[in-house]
Amino acid sequence: MPLSPSYNPQTKEPIGPADLAPIFASELIRQEVSTERYIDIPSEVRDILTLWRPSPLYRARRLEKLLKTPAKIFYKYEGVSPPGSHKPNTAIAQAYYNMKDGIERIATETGAGQWGSSLAFATQLFDMECKVYMVRGSYDQKPYRKMMMQCWGADCIASPSPETNAGRAMLEKDPETSGSLGMAISEAVEDAASHTNTNYSLGWVLNHVCLHQSVIGLETLEQLKMAGEETADFVIGCAGGGSNFAGLAFPFIREKMAGRMPACQFIATEPSACPTLTKGLYAYDYGDVAGYTPIMQMYTLGHGFVPPSIHAGGLRYHGMAPLVSLLHHEGLVDAVSCHQNEVFAAAVAFCRSEGIIVAPESAHAIKTVMDVAAECSRTGDAKTIVFNCSGHGNFDLSSYEAYFAGALPDYEYPADLIAASLKDLPVIH
Amino acid sequence: MLIGFVVNPVAGMGGAIGLKGTDGAVEEAKQQGAVPVAPGRARMLLSLITPGVHTFLTAGGPMGEELFAEAGISAEVVYIPDGAETTGEDTRRACRAFVNRGCGLILFCGGDGTARDVFAVAGDTTPLLGVPSGVKMYSGIFAATPAAAADCINRLEEAVMTDAEVMDIDEVAYRDGRLAVTLTGIARSPALTGHLPSSKWATDTRHEARAQAEIARFITDIMRRDTLYLIGAGSTTAAVIQALGEEGTLLGIDAVFDGDIIARDLNEVGILQLLDKYPRVQAVVSPIGAQGFVLGRGTQQFSPVVVERIGPENFIVIATEAKLSRTSALYLDVGDPEISARFPDSLPVVCGYAMARRMPLIR
Repeated sequence: MPLSPSYNPQTKEPIGPADLAPIFASELIRQEVSTERYIDIPSEVRDILTLWRPSPLYRARRLEKLLKTPAKIFYKYEGVSPPGSHKPNTAIAQAYYNMKDGIERIATETGAGQWGSSLAFATQLFDMECKVYMVRGSYDQKPYRKMMMQCWGADCIASPSPETNAGRAMLEKDPETSGSLGMAISEAVEDAASHTNTNYSLGWVLNHVCLHQSVIGLETLEQLKMAGEETADFVIGCAGGGSNFAGLAFPFIREKMAGRMPACQFIATEPSACPTLTKGLYAYDYGDVAGYTPIMQMYTLGHGFVPPSIHAGGLRYHGMAPLVSLLHHEGLVDAVSCHQNEVFAAAVAFCRSEGIIVAPESAHAIKTVMDVAAECSRTGDAKTIVFNCSGHGNFDLSSYEAYFAGALPDYEYPADLIAASLKDLPVIH
Repeated sequence: MLIGFVVNPVAGMGGAIGLKGTDGAVEEAKQQGAVPVAPGRARMLLSLITPGVHTFLTAGGPMGEELFAEAGISAEVVYIPDGAETTGEDTRRACRAFVNRGCGLILFCGGDGTARDVFAVAGDTTPLLGVPSGVKMYSGIFAATPAAAADCINRLEEAVMTDAEVMDIDEVAYRDGRLAVTLTGIARSPALTGHLPSSKWATDTRHEARAQAEIARFITDIMRRDTLYLIGAGSTTAAVIQALGEEGTLLGIDAVFDGDIIARDLNEVGILQLLDKYPRVQAVVSPIGAQGFVLGRGTQQFSPVVVERIGPENFIVIATEAKLSRTSALYLDVGDPEISARFPDSLPVVCGYAMARRMPLIR
């Protein structure tokens, strides 16, 4: 099951290390194309990860009781990291490898702010500067994430911004746009390419990001065994760009492919407003709006698609990690989509039983967990469900406020209308 | 802001006694013991208005002056009605005085009849907001309650200006048991969208025209070849025609085929003739009025026969976010329960480019 090559957006030739060298650290490029099964975490990175790793694996007994389900529900809680999500797992590694290359400044984009705050945290540990282009909708809605970045010394601005050519072009086209991750990526890539000693860093989608996140699943496998569980029946995570899902699921998929967990099912949950895996096309597309990134084969809603301003800002991305896309295409990973009201209802049920106020992104996984657990209640099967609770929602309380006020619109992607119009495309034999 | 406030003192009198409207029936209503509804609604509104935020103009006596005095809010009287019994003409004259003084919004207490009178003067230039107090309130310019109207006035700087339909009901037919609702115009009206937690997010929907253009761009992008499109009525559907480079009929239904307008302002017969000629058809409609009727109010051209021929699955509903914020559900009254039953319980309403909101459909 080889991964299809990515292509240079200018030359349209398969991408090689030289194409990535202007904006990525050399070791990250090597990891991006590596076929090695394991790559060790450097001791300097491990030292930092021990601030919160291994992260806890909890049995959600109170949630099980609430749902009256025979299922056993476990969740890996990544909200214990200083920035409050799984994102530092790759941010620390990326900052480290860039520091080793002598890079002094990193530019990046962020949606809900979890990635931006994680990279801000990571870069200050290695005395580097950090510039964050934050999607305007989230920038205005989540001021505390912005302040976290400031605390860790990063410079965070709203995207699209007047500071880059890509940003200016987007503002000219639509001065009041709420922005999107695709737009912010364009700005950060341009920033890195146009500043000396600056590299770009991406917190999701790419292979090396999924690699760094796989520590989540590797720990979970060990912890499950300690809890007396040799296998899992369902592994569930939310999916925006795919890295938190990949982080938990990939080590389990290894087990399944090796025949050790033959019955294990994998479910990625995404918002109905941005249903990349469930409604998108498996095709080659750009990773950003302006077309600066490599052209990758992935599930996509089109790089020009600007998802509605849902509260799970981290899931507002038109594409999906090529690795997760391939696994979905091959039938190893299932996908479902949910509306935000049902997602917040699940989040509230979770915080009232387990105590943790989760990020809206993570709440998508909880919605699917509750659906699977409800099915177990119906069938009487005591399945083992594991999910990635990827972050806390302590800075997302305005989203909860909107939910309690009954003011959350249920957006969805009008897939049927689009599919109907595509039926008329000419067929060339 | 300078706000004109006018009360139709007899609005709503017919409701409790089953008159279905007070236009030309005030005496009859009074004889049957009906009491005015509008003054009470106006009192409720004024009791909730934050003093000192806006400057008010009003009309004399029961048309506003007395109510402002009771509420202890100062207001300048710019029109005094002639007789003891006020009429629609008094409403129109008061509004003309408001407009002449340069008011930025006309607030009124009444029903659809009053709305029609206010709109006759204000048109689509001076925004309107109705405090519901009539017998019939199909027009889209009414706030849900007097409290909601007061909230909107108190937080006017957060409001989104939306297009709102003014509906005209044939009261004689209505008292006869026949509902004949026609769309008479599109006014401008402020709305608090509610679901946008920060002011910057509100910029997504602050400009109705921009939102309509986004929807129109999506609809024109997904239009299929060899397909007849019946489009109307309202400003959002007119924006679709405009995106094709043509002028649409604001209050009627136009037909488009392969990107060109082939007929304008169609009636039922005209639509049926086109349906005979074009086998593939889709209709693009937008919710109309306060209740959000996708079919059955204001667009009688979509008769039961026409709807049956088009097929429920071929209706595309479009509306801006601001418009959708005014209603929690969409309504349908095709005129034939069997055909209505063939529509699903909820519909995706296109509210942006490749963006929809699922709304419950009530029949």
